[in-house]
Amino acid sequence: MKNLIKNTIRIKVSLIVFLLLIISCSEDFINVEANQETEEALTADKAPELVNAVYNSFLTWQMSSFSWNGVTSITSDDADKGSTPGDTGTDKNLLDALAFDASTISFAEVWSAHYAGIQRANQAINRLQGFEMEDGLKNRLIGEAKFLRALMYFRLVQSFGGVPLITEAPDPQAENASDVLKRATKEASYALIEKDLQEAIPVLLNKNQYNAADLGRVTKGAAKALLAKVSMYQNKWPEVYSLTNEIIASGEYGLTTNYEDIWKEIGENNTESIFEIQSRGETPTAGVQGYSATQGARGTGGWGWGFNTPTQNLANSYEANDLRRDATIMFRGEILFDGRLVPNDADNERYNQKAYSSAFSDAWETGKNIRILRYAEVLLMNAEAALKQGGDAATPLNRVRNRAGLGNAPVVNQQAVWNERRFELAFEHDRYFDLVRQGRAGTVLRAHGKPFVDGKHEVFPIPQEQIDKSGGILVQNPGY
Amino acid sequence: MKTKIIYALLFLPFLIFAQERTVSGKVTSSDGVPIPSVNVLIKNTARGVVTDFDGNFSIAASQNEVLVFSYIGMKPKEIVVGTANIINVVLEDSAESLEEVVVIGYGTQKKAILTSSVSSIKGEELSKEPVTNAAQALQGKAAGIQIIASDAPGSASTVIIRGLGTIQGGRDPLYVVDGILTNNINNINTSDILTMNVLKDAASLAIYGNRGANGVIIITTKKGRSGKMQISFDSYTGIKDILSTVKMADAASYVIYSNEAIQRDLRRDDDPSNDNNTSGFFPSNQQYNTNWLDAITRIGRVTNHNLSLSGGSDNITAFFSVGYNNEEGILKDNDFDRLTLRSNVDYKISDKLNFGHNVSVQLANVTPKGYSAFTNAYKQAPIVPVRDEQGRFGSSTAFNNVGNPVKDLHFQDEKQKYFKIQASFKADYKIIEPLTFTSRFSVETENGRMYNFQDRLGSFLANDPGNIEDNFEKDNENPAKTRLSVTHTNNYRWFLDNYVTYNKTFLEDHTINATLGITAEENRSEFLTGTRNNVPLNSNLKYNLSIGDEDNTQLSGGSISVMDRLYSYIARVNYDFQDKYLFNASFRRDGSSKFQQGNKFGNFFAVSAGWVLTEETFMQDGIFNKLKLRASYGELGNQNVPFNIVTATTGSGGFYPFGPNQDLQQGITITGTVEEDLTWETTNEINLGVEYTLLDNKLSGEIDYYKRVNSNAVLEIKLPDVFGFDPYNSHVGEVTNQGVEVLLNWTDKINDHLKYYIGGNFSYNKNELTKVTNPFFNEQRGGNIDNGQYTKKIAVGQPLGSFFLYEVIGIDDRGEFVYDDVNDNGITDEGDRKFFGSYIPKYYFGFNFGLEYNNFDFSVDTYGNFGNKVYNGKKAQRFSNENIEQSTFNNRWTSGGPSNTGPIAFNDVPLSSDYYLESGDFFRINNITLGYTLPENVLKLFSKIRVYASAKNPLIIKSFSGYTPELSGAPLGTAGIELNAYPTLQSYFIGINTSF
Repeated sequence: MKNLIKNTIRIKVSLIVFLLLIISCSEDFINVEANQETEEALTADKAPELVNAVYNSFLTWQMSSFSWNGVTSITSDDADKGSTPGDTGTDKNLLDALAFDASTISFAEVWSAHYAGIQRANQAINRLQGFEMEDGLKNRLIGEAKFLRALMYFRLVQSFGGVPLITEAPDPQAENASDVLKRATKEASYALIEKDLQEAIPVLLNKNQYNAADLGRVTKGAAKALLAKVSMYQNKWPEVYSLTNEIIASGEYGLTTNYEDIWKEIGENNTESIFEIQSRGETPTAGVQGYSATQGARGTGGWGWGFNTPTQNLANSYEANDLRRDATIMFRGEILFDGRLVPNDADNERYNQKAYSSAFSDAWETGKNIRILRYAEVLLMNAEAALKQGGDAATPLNRVRNRAGLGNAPVVNQQAVWNERRFELAFEHDRYFDLVRQGRAGTVLRAHGKPFVDGKHEVFPIPQEQIDKSGGILVQNPGY
Repeated sequence: MKTKIIYALLFLPFLIFAQERTVSGKVTSSDGVPIPSVNVLIKNTARGVVTDFDGNFSIAASQNEVLVFSYIGMKPKEIVVGTANIINVVLEDSAESLEEVVVIGYGTQKKAILTSSVSSIKGEELSKEPVTNAAQALQGKAAGIQIIASDAPGSASTVIIRGLGTIQGGRDPLYVVDGILTNNINNINTSDILTMNVLKDAASLAIYGNRGANGVIIITTKKGRSGKMQISFDSYTGIKDILSTVKMADAASYVIYSNEAIQRDLRRDDDPSNDNNTSGFFPSNQQYNTNWLDAITRIGRVTNHNLSLSGGSDNITAFFSVGYNNEEGILKDNDFDRLTLRSNVDYKISDKLNFGHNVSVQLANVTPKGYSAFTNAYKQAPIVPVRDEQGRFGSSTAFNNVGNPVKDLHFQDEKQKYFKIQASFKADYKIIEPLTFTSRFSVETENGRMYNFQDRLGSFLANDPGNIEDNFEKDNENPAKTRLSVTHTNNYRWFLDNYVTYNKTFLEDHTINATLGITAEENRSEFLTGTRNNVPLNSNLKYNLSIGDEDNTQLSGGSISVMDRLYSYIARVNYDFQDKYLFNASFRRDGSSKFQQGNKFGNFFAVSAGWVLTEETFMQDGIFNKLKLRASYGELGNQNVPFNIVTATTGSGGFYPFGPNQDLQQGITITGTVEEDLTWETTNEINLGVEYTLLDNKLSGEIDYYKRVNSNAVLEIKLPDVFGFDPYNSHVGEVTNQGVEVLLNWTDKINDHLKYYIGGNFSYNKNELTKVTNPFFNEQRGGNIDNGQYTKKIAVGQPLGSFFLYEVIGIDDRGEFVYDDVNDNGITDEGDRKFFGSYIPKYYFGFNFGLEYNNFDFSVDTYGNFGNKVYNGKKAQRFSNENIEQSTFNNRWTSGGPSNTGPIAFNDVPLSSDYYLESGDFFRINNITLGYTLPENVLKLFSKIRVYASAKNPLIIKSFSGYTPELSGAPLGTAGIELNAYPTLQSYFIGINTSF
């Protein structure tokens, strides 16, 4: 009996101990706070950072580098695939031969990178609109993001024609989530681009109104220049003419004395620059991934993969004494401005000098800024519009020619401006689209030996994977 | 009458004196260790003695009496006294003893009444294999457990229990070392392992709830034995080399092939005038003929020493061990060494209170080398010298992009050091007779230090003889000629387990065994990195972060993981009637900090039942010694799913340089979307099993059937690109694994000199993604081989990790591949790909044989798998002017010698096709060991000396033409793809086991 009592006490004591353990260590134990920045961190003080992240999307490999060069240059008569015959650069041989199809990876990369960037821009625009902050800064930042969104949509339209237009974050769980995949018409796409730019122009600052620390941000002039270019692609010549005239009259921009200097470190953000992708080669790097390395000279003593090489046709097309020939092309065996030898036995005869980074040569992220809009192009747009509109085409055209060491144009006509565009803007991601715009892509490229099919090759195929995923909502371009 | 008795009593001593004498001897175990406290009894009498600490006994007995030796856990032995004065006895472990106990989660259970599927492997079976990670020694020794072995120094093998159930979630089993739940057992000295139990079905796994779905491996380390101190010293040393090499083309063949490939390109371009242009050809008289594999490899060496002490008194028992393992890998300068220390001590404080602590420490040093060297050696042209006449590294930048692998190894200057402590402290308090309270606190912490020194200028110069220092980061004001990065990592976890165990038999027939408790745990990891440029090259300075540039190129980074905590309730009840009808139920309620509020707690359970037919009277006289049927069903979780918060993208994903100095301005954005209610994956498993022992316990085994369904597998959703979001995870899949496991062992003794065993285990597993519920799951691709080609795709109806390739149906009249035009559109495109099976084997098996003849012992262990495919990634990756295999050269198509097996020499990156897919079937002899135990009469100081020679992987039968068919990795990564893989090695060892 005594034992029984003793045991009962022990059971009670141990049960109490057990319960105490349960209570002392309650289920609150597993309520742990996240220790990383999530959506909640995106408050008004992060407004500039949200926009900076849109700029950042232009630094990626997919957005601006290998595939983009393939799609915009290698396809054209300015550039060959380059490199060694066996190194296809994934699909650059197909781009060169216009033998690509909807499964060609370069298009998939371009498509996806641009929409990822657009998502960032949409996010910045929509979040900023809800932020309580100083209006001037807020509107300017929104303007920057709208310019960048317009630039990305413009590049998509140039590449694919009318595309799905996303301006807000779509809900993937929504019942009709797939509807956002529907392609807008080319006209509707341009309308969105123009709207963004028109809204951006009044709220953006002029180049000289920015603090030095903000050098590289989108300016009012950049938005006007892009709007001029977008207008030109729609043959809205009065708009082109007035916008380019405004830019010229602003006096903010001028031509770089020495054409070659534009692509040197000293030429970054200079008087001719209207908009360029800023690229930092020093650690921590923030450069366009692989831009210089993929286009560097290949072979012993070289520093790159040797892709996107100037064609013989381009090299032969320049007028004698055109300074742009040597500034655009690095020839095998040439001693460059910095004393570097392009190896005598490099794998290719010519390389793209505009991608050459003297300071960081073969680094993955060099300090090479990519020039998107230059004053020289504004002059050429002005000249072309003057021809269509009636106006002085010779002055702007000859300014560009004279800077390149050439005399005044013997004939000032559309062909003369088109030729000038080729020499002036070679390897600036313009040629293929320019030929299509001019309506002579088939003629020129077939003469160059490329199997350009009219009605098909004016635009590139929408990536097949995206078409498959859309369940038929996203429609392929004709011929693919 | 009375008188007679008195007389008899009077004479009795004399009678006894006449017939009895003193017999003495020593009792040892089969491994030569003396056993104290063995009962030595004269049969049918009450006379008996007990052996002393040295196993010695002495007893008076007459000639025709029988001595019975008995000891718990050993088979009793009877010996007729006869004429001998000294009787030495060896007692054998009673393998089939009904009292055999299996360690299960939070307790132990008699094997006889177990109703779940558990594979038990003894420590000595594991330590027979000369591997540093005990999991690798499991290979071929248990059914249902697939081990993808890796022979790289210090590496862990991949363990897959009953098939792969998930792609995005964690795939590794949970390890439990003396109650500590952990991720790996790299720090465990195999010699310290007493038993390894692999829990395979829901009935055994449910007690581990949210971490049970991938199986659990429970490791119990050795404890001290009371009695005389036992000292053991074991040592082995061995050499290693690649088991199967690949014959590469020599310089002459390489030149012919490469020139033909160049010619093919010239003939295919649009310029007919250059078709016979030979100006780009390689000259045929080449100066060098390098064998790159020889240049990067060496004969590997391994040494292992292990010392252990075991002993104790009635109140304290202790086990101590120290182990040292040193390996020089076959890749030059790839070294690994590891020191392990263990101290396990148990105190009997009172009749009611026991306390014990197990503490282990590991120190490891690693000199890593990139295994891409194997692929580069495979690909680099033989015409490139290791070093040229001037002593400069050979370079091939003129014609291909392959680095000089010797140079790459030379410039990889890394060191890693790891320090890990695992400790558990446990008290058992017997409250009242059937009720015991157990409390255990455990802690584990691991520190890593990684040093990475880059001689960037040296590497730049060595890259190409044409590179000069002036061109290095030209115009960069202060180029980083060298760079040092030092990273410190730490992870820790602690556990507190409290539970009561109730164990009682009622009315003789009804036994109840119940456990109820609560456990809490926390773990976290962090790292810190520092980088500095232009640290001096001097070997005594180069790892010092405090020397070097004082500018802003110094970088540091770090992160601390979010706290991971669990709080769980565990319960288990076991009931058996006469050891015949068995029932078991277990439950765990797991609360995890990983999941969002309202989704934190999950309930996991299992029920099982068994019927021991041989306990029934109608089965008593059959051929079966034991026959048990069992069935179980339960639900398990895998909480190791990707995190379900979207973190903001910052740093290099957001920043951008503005201003004249290109100063970085921070950027932030959200690039993803989430499914907020993402939780654990849930696996339901049914298991049916039979265990049998028959023919006088000679034949034993188990057969199991299981079906496990992960009904909410996490898969990646890739929204169409226009959404602009990164892929995110969602519970949209169902993965089914079903299979059969068969285990069969035969043990027999032909006479006192010769005994042997033959064992085999066989597993069949069918893996399939059975269902997907979201339209935007678009069959994730994977198996990228870094040349723009992918090789795998996940799709409904296919096993996970299936290869998805073009099919080569022939060689055309120009020597080009002809691919099957599946979609019949006249061109080769994505629509022409087909599934060709998975890298996951359908069948795997082990076959083991051993015999003992007098003092000799001999054993052979084998392993094999069938029904899977492997992709020859290093061959398929080929870029232009890389080397080819000699067989590729021999079988190529030429205009003079058309071939229908091999294509024309080419330099294009080939499409990923079944041409590069090979059978993954193999059968390998894992281990052959021949040992000799020195006869006892030659030993003085030692109680046992055994010497042995052993061969690991001396033979493989395979059809794969590469270095190894055992290719681990992520299912959508390099699993089953030979690219930068470490070859399978053959190794030969000699060793010695001593105890004294």
